[in-house]
Amino acid sequence: MDAMLKRLHLTHPLHFVVGLTLWCIWFIAVYGGHAVACEAFAPAPEQGVFTLLNGGLLIVSIVTTGLLLLLTWGCYVVAKQHQGRDRFNAVVSAGLYLFSAFSVVFVALPIIGVPPCL
Amino acid sequence: MKSVNQEAVEHDPQQLHEELHDIWGNPKGIKALTIVNHTTLGLRFMVTGMVFFLIGGILAMLVRTQLAMPDQDFMSPDIYNQVTTMHGTVMMFLFAIPMLEGLAIYLIPKMIGARDLVCPRLTSLGYFCYLFGGIILTFSLIIEMAPSSGWFMYTPLSSSEYAPGLGSDFWLLGITFVEISAVSAGVELVVSILRTRTQGMALHKMPLFAWYILAMALMIVIGFPPLILASVLLELERAVGMPFFEIAGGGDPILWQHLFWLFGHPEVYIIFLPAAGIVSTLIPVFAGRPIVGYGWVVFAIIVTGFISFGLWVHHMFTVGIPQLAQAFFSAASMLVAVPTAIQVFVWLATLWLGKPKMKLPMLWVMGFLIIFVCGGLTGVMLALVPFNWQVHDTHFVVAHMHYVLVGGMFFPLIAGLYYWLPLFSGRMPSENLGRWGFWLTFLGFNGTFLIMHWTGLLGMPRRVYTYEAGSGWEIYNLLSSVSSFVLSAGIAMVLLDIALHFRFGKPAKHNPWNADTLEWANSMPPSAYNFISLPNVETRHPLWDDPKLPYTMAEGKHGLAVPVHGRREMWGTDPITGKVREIIHLPGNSWWPLLAAAALAVVCISLLVRVYALAGIFVLIAGVFLLRWSWENGAHPIAAPEAAVAPGDPPLHSRTMDGPGLWAMAVFLLANGSFFLSYLFGWFYLWTVSPEWRMPDTSPLSLPLLAAAGIAIAAGAVVMEKLVRGLRHQCDDRLRVGLYLAGTLGAVQVALTAWVLYSANLSPTQTSHDAVLLVGLIYVLFHGGLAVVLTLMQGLRVGYGYVGTHAPFEPAVVTQLWRYNVVTFLVLVGSIAILPRVVGG
Repeated sequence: MDAMLKRLHLTHPLHFVVGLTLWCIWFIAVYGGHAVACEAFAPAPEQGVFTLLNGGLLIVSIVTTGLLLLLTWGCYVVAKQHQGRDRFNAVVSAGLYLFSAFSVVFVALPIIGVPPCL
Repeated sequence: MKSVNQEAVEHDPQQLHEELHDIWGNPKGIKALTIVNHTTLGLRFMVTGMVFFLIGGILAMLVRTQLAMPDQDFMSPDIYNQVTTMHGTVMMFLFAIPMLEGLAIYLIPKMIGARDLVCPRLTSLGYFCYLFGGIILTFSLIIEMAPSSGWFMYTPLSSSEYAPGLGSDFWLLGITFVEISAVSAGVELVVSILRTRTQGMALHKMPLFAWYILAMALMIVIGFPPLILASVLLELERAVGMPFFEIAGGGDPILWQHLFWLFGHPEVYIIFLPAAGIVSTLIPVFAGRPIVGYGWVVFAIIVTGFISFGLWVHHMFTVGIPQLAQAFFSAASMLVAVPTAIQVFVWLATLWLGKPKMKLPMLWVMGFLIIFVCGGLTGVMLALVPFNWQVHDTHFVVAHMHYVLVGGMFFPLIAGLYYWLPLFSGRMPSENLGRWGFWLTFLGFNGTFLIMHWTGLLGMPRRVYTYEAGSGWEIYNLLSSVSSFVLSAGIAMVLLDIALHFRFGKPAKHNPWNADTLEWANSMPPSAYNFISLPNVETRHPLWDDPKLPYTMAEGKHGLAVPVHGRREMWGTDPITGKVREIIHLPGNSWWPLLAAAALAVVCISLLVRVYALAGIFVLIAGVFLLRWSWENGAHPIAAPEAAVAPGDPPLHSRTMDGPGLWAMAVFLLANGSFFLSYLFGWFYLWTVSPEWRMPDTSPLSLPLLAAAGIAIAAGAVVMEKLVRGLRHQCDDRLRVGLYLAGTLGAVQVALTAWVLYSANLSPTQTSHDAVLLVGLIYVLFHGGLAVVLTLMQGLRVGYGYVGTHAPFEPAVVTQLWRYNVVTFLVLVGSIAILPRVVGG
């Protein structure tokens, strides 16, 4: 249990991979969800981008971005409280969470401009 | 209490050397085949890789000769297709990856202050699988039956209808065999870097090269299984007619493209990352200052490792994917430029702030920077969907790929070879010959491939064996071909320089480049045990901060300079802090890896010529060899004749609950999980997308029987967990009985699953639905059977006294497999037996 709690601490290097793993899960969910939705119940092309599908993908993206930004802030705050190895780990983790959040936003941008199943 | 550091203990260095040499030294003659030492095997990987490079290079010259003039008949279309396919295949699978793995196998233990890799026999198995697989594959060229469907083997071109000979089979079986090697090296590099760094070397202090190799190794572990699965499925389709990629049978050829590029795009970065690691190692040394932004580089490595798995569809923009999905992959493809740019700016800043010395290795680094940046920029162009559509399947893409791979891998590799040459041989290369080699290669390369961008933009498609006069491509092709021979002359000069230096090179002084990393604390060339004593290292630049460190290490003034016990020993350290946890004792030289690889080679050849009975027999023989190999581990007298350690030293790993085998099993299961997820992807992909997919009205799989099997495997796993908990608390009451009970429960699960398979009455050659079901059930049967065998073997080992509270480690390793089996079994049942019943076809 102690070992598990240590791993959850924001100075643990496990956080080097958590943010980008979340990005991967988000990416698979959005790409896979979009592909399945287009096969199962594709919205009419004349609906343009204002479809339930685009809306759903956008909400998932916003929630993921929010979570990643929250973790970025947490690592940043923790980094300021430490020195040496712990500070290094927290700073790199903060950067990786921030980049993951940016990656979600950047990859999700087409959702607001491209109809889903063309 | 004696410190693990053993500072200030007086030793006779010569006597220590002789004693360590007796333990670690390599045998000669036929017994040299039993060597498991990382230095020797790393060199073997690299030398073998260079032989395959020469073969791939000759094939490239044949291609350029054919394309030099229009309407040539130097090669027939079929031979041309074989030559281009084998050029790509040999360069990617038999040169680039094994060569870089060989370099990592050679360097990593030396850089992190260890005496060997953590699974030395696995290194040996990997080498022989690579060698045999490579020989089988290249043999197809000699008999003019080489694969001819392109190095990516797209279906249906590679399927039996359009490629009826053995060519595709050579590729599928040979490459899968070689990939055993890649995954083996990946697993042990991950565990070695995380668990065997010398004491004090915390994660944030380890050399950047180790970070790069850690990322590369993890990417191999996760990235290769999709291709292994795809190869297995395509070979099943070709050999017995299971229609995974045939529309009429409910399959889909695009599934191959997804699985191939799920591997193929990360592979570009698997090749690039270690090469970038070479650059990040060399630039600070020749700039005479630490790298600017160590943390930024770590950040960039991790980002590259992840993002590169999200780009695979950019190879498939023309297959008819919805625009929104293309936009996702286009954006992700552009994102990967960010970490690459960070590294380029870090390298430039380090050069800017340092005082660079333009020695021979740096010349190749500068060549890398120019070529790779150009290749990266055309990569960003190709990430744009409309441009990608325009140049798809033209020579522009061929040119881009060579700028990225030759610029991003070959130039840094040669830089690294020149840099570490004094370590390999104790001699310096010729600056003059080396510079001639560089300039001919650099000019020849750009003359060949810069021009190829233009032929591509003019519309010349790739993979055509000739073109008509008057097409406007003649002069460009001629210039490309002439330049390619200049490039070859340059490479020949480099190889000549390297060959000659072994005889005529000036003897190198110790640490000739004034480097900062531990590999230069070795003797030159290195001894089989690397270091007489293992130091405490708490800095990123051990040799800059303590230039006398190599001498004190050689005098035995640091840790583990006690060879009297006869064991091959090194530190097992905490993956984060670098604090010593245990002493890892390594197995010695052995015939088992060679014998197992030879048996697997017979399996490969038997499958190729379709003598399945023989293949089955040799699968069993290989299994016996591998089990015997594992029998000699842990507390077996051959592995560790006695467990005594010096007072104050930590225990042997086999006497703890956290040895490297536990980590190796976890990383192997990561690879296995990637294989399983790829399988699930295939199942859901075909179900959703395949136009002729036929889901039966009622599932042929019996749910009650599957539920009973699930209860049996879960009960077995609970028993294993209980036994391991007992061992953790120093209790081994009824350990043997418990292991036999768990083994029996596992056997019940296997029997019930086999009954489900038998009673399902599947028609795997008629529909892809049944074929996918069959593969899934065989997967859980194999894993269930493996868990049973290993568990029963543990019971036997308890009887022999190799497992118990004094050596509690092995049941914990096997329990990980049980956990994995429970999860995969439940997910599989949910996916193929329950979900179809819930949502229907």
